[in-house]
Amino acid sequence: MITAQHPAGAEVQAPQAARRPVGWLLALAALVAVAFVLDVALGPVRIPLPAVMRLLLGHGGPHDTAAAFIVNQIRLPKALTALVVGMGLAVSGLQMQTLFRNPLAGPSVLGLTAGAGLGVALVMLAGGSAAGGFAVRQLGLSGSWALVLAATTGAALVLLLVLALSVRVRDNAVMLIVGLMIASVTGAVVSLWQYFSAPEQIQEYLLWTFGALGGVTGTHLAVLSTVVLAGLGLAFASAKPLNALLLGENYARSLGLNVRASRTLLIASTSLLAGGITAFCGPIGFVGIAVPHLTRALLRTADHRVLLPGASLVGAALVLACDCLAQLPGSQTALPINVVTSLLGAPVVLWVVLRGRNIRSAHA
Amino acid sequence: MTHPPLSPGRAGGARHLVARQCCALLLALLWGGCLPGRGQPALRPAPVPKHPARLAAPAARAAAGRTRVQYAKGFTIAYVGNYKVISILSPFEQKTTAARYLLVPRGTARPAGYPDCRVIETPIRSLVAMSSMHIALADFLGAADVLVGVGDLKYASAPRVRQRIAAGQIFEAGLGKQLNNELLISRHPDLVMTTGWPGEGLNTFQTLSAAGVPVMINSEWVETTPLARAEWVKVLAALLNKEALVNEQFGRVARAYQRLAALAQTAVRHPSVVVGMPFKDVWYVPDANSYMARFLRDAGAAYHWDRTTSPSGSLALGFEAVAPVALAAEYWLHTGSLTSKTGLLAQDARYAAFASVKAGRVFNNNRRTNAQGANDYWESGALRPDLVLADLIRILHPELLPRGALHYYQPLR
Repeated sequence: MITAQHPAGAEVQAPQAARRPVGWLLALAALVAVAFVLDVALGPVRIPLPAVMRLLLGHGGPHDTAAAFIVNQIRLPKALTALVVGMGLAVSGLQMQTLFRNPLAGPSVLGLTAGAGLGVALVMLAGGSAAGGFAVRQLGLSGSWALVLAATTGAALVLLLVLALSVRVRDNAVMLIVGLMIASVTGAVVSLWQYFSAPEQIQEYLLWTFGALGGVTGTHLAVLSTVVLAGLGLAFASAKPLNALLLGENYARSLGLNVRASRTLLIASTSLLAGGITAFCGPIGFVGIAVPHLTRALLRTADHRVLLPGASLVGAALVLACDCLAQLPGSQTALPINVVTSLLGAPVVLWVVLRGRNIRSAHA
Repeated sequence: MTHPPLSPGRAGGARHLVARQCCALLLALLWGGCLPGRGQPALRPAPVPKHPARLAAPAARAAAGRTRVQYAKGFTIAYVGNYKVISILSPFEQKTTAARYLLVPRGTARPAGYPDCRVIETPIRSLVAMSSMHIALADFLGAADVLVGVGDLKYASAPRVRQRIAAGQIFEAGLGKQLNNELLISRHPDLVMTTGWPGEGLNTFQTLSAAGVPVMINSEWVETTPLARAEWVKVLAALLNKEALVNEQFGRVARAYQRLAALAQTAVRHPSVVVGMPFKDVWYVPDANSYMARFLRDAGAAYHWDRTTSPSGSLALGFEAVAPVALAAEYWLHTGSLTSKTGLLAQDARYAAFASVKAGRVFNNNRRTNAQGANDYWESGALRPDLVLADLIRILHPELLPRGALHYYQPLR
């Protein structure tokens, strides 16, 4: 699919990319800021922008109890979650695409999200059949930690399996099929569990699969942010190895790169990002696949030192914008974030692909 | 979560969704028609006795052996000669009859006519009940010994039924709609009572029907008032020839309910109430036509969505849309499976800001949950709306019912 015949590589592109993208990155950062403010300002309950600003700065009056609660306890944590989720998913998608050298790769396609879902199903559904699980569900706070741990472990195990197989399987197309099959098997296990679970548990799991940015507050938000920042840190540290990997493993090795170590680093980073986010917010689709393509098309570079911050900014802006749309003012109902990202994301990617028709060259 | 329209037996999530969609049509039909006893007889075709002479003779006995549907809109019972016709109606489709059952005394030949009816011989001697509500129906009529199978052995609260389960006298008949056909055919019960959408007919159960095992689809969840829901016990009473008993027992429940509702209307204050729990971004709240809203109305509560109707029977609102109401509401009811305030705050620390939580006025309907996790509120509670209403009045207007303890509800501590 991807040929490693690009003569230039990172070295040539980097200086030229470094000049233009700075402006782009600044513009994107501004876009994220605007989207963030909009996300906090808009919602089913109408609160005027000046009041929102006043409340954010902690100057709420005695009549603002409900408004203060909505802004500080509901919208702000949700916008922060959207920010972190957008950055994390975009970067994990970018890493997957480069690691597997496949433009279709992403956390969900390679079974990572399914692995996390398997972990969550283990806690949520198997809880009904095994007596111990019932106790897990009753734990409340610790129960939600169990959920996070299970999701992260599930994602990591699936990724390790995909990677172990990728050592034997050289063909990327075959690798992709392997990933899809793993996703299919884990999906079947979850379905089996659902079949034998009580309706309320199934509903809880179903709601989880819709994805939600709300409900991540306080300690949860702190943990999610820490996990994603750690994942992003690892990702940013692997910018150079990623550039080398673009040209193929043999080439990367000849550049003196410890391919095995770099792979491990990438796995760790992606599992943290995809597993952590899926655990807290459910499987949020599409961002992981779509954003890297959007970013490459925008920045016209393959240099990961630019692409990584670029993708995280585009991802954050996209998820924030999707969250604005999910909770349109005047509507009392919040759409599941998954619905919005896919409805918005698919046409955008189609547009980029059809317009450029150079997804492969943009990728390699 | 809001009340599932089905009891939490093996109902199935898909059914839940169908139920919600179906309620769309229900609204149009039932709007404004919630008051029990009003305009109801017109909806039911009057029974047409084919042999008036035979009926007239033992008039007293005939009256004692009959029951009349007063509140429910989902079924009718007609007495014709020495047999009965139970029609399960589909209120979503302009009250058309979804299924008809001909109840004939055991050993009697099938009467002519009624080609579309399934014949069931009465009284039934063995019953398989697929939902916990059906277990309650049998228990209410003192007929727990008729139960030979249930959907899930875990979901039973009635002591007599648990005894029979422990003694191995009750078998597990399958999950949801996935009935264990082979087992059912080999045990050959007199009736399998399952829950479902009235319009679906009996096609789903062709195998069982072909093997001569009658299946009846109860759709008590189509009802919009607690009394109408409970009145489905009359279907089982007709099957067991226990009309006299059901008239007495259900009559007592209905009168107690009406008395309590009248009492609650004397309340000067109507405290505000919020119901259910959010999951992440979504908070399903019962809409104006739900039986929960009816309970709250009859208990003298102020319910914010008492005028909002939805095609699905409940409203899927964003947390933010409910927050202003929940922050101010004096009482908070039905908090999932939680039993403690600590557990509540562990789920989401933001609940601490709710007035109900600050004042310790959070009540859940799970006082009678047994070790298996079965909550009797969904079982006997469906048949005892008077006890549920009394609980709600004790919670919201303690001054009106100063004596007695809560039955199904408990405060979160």
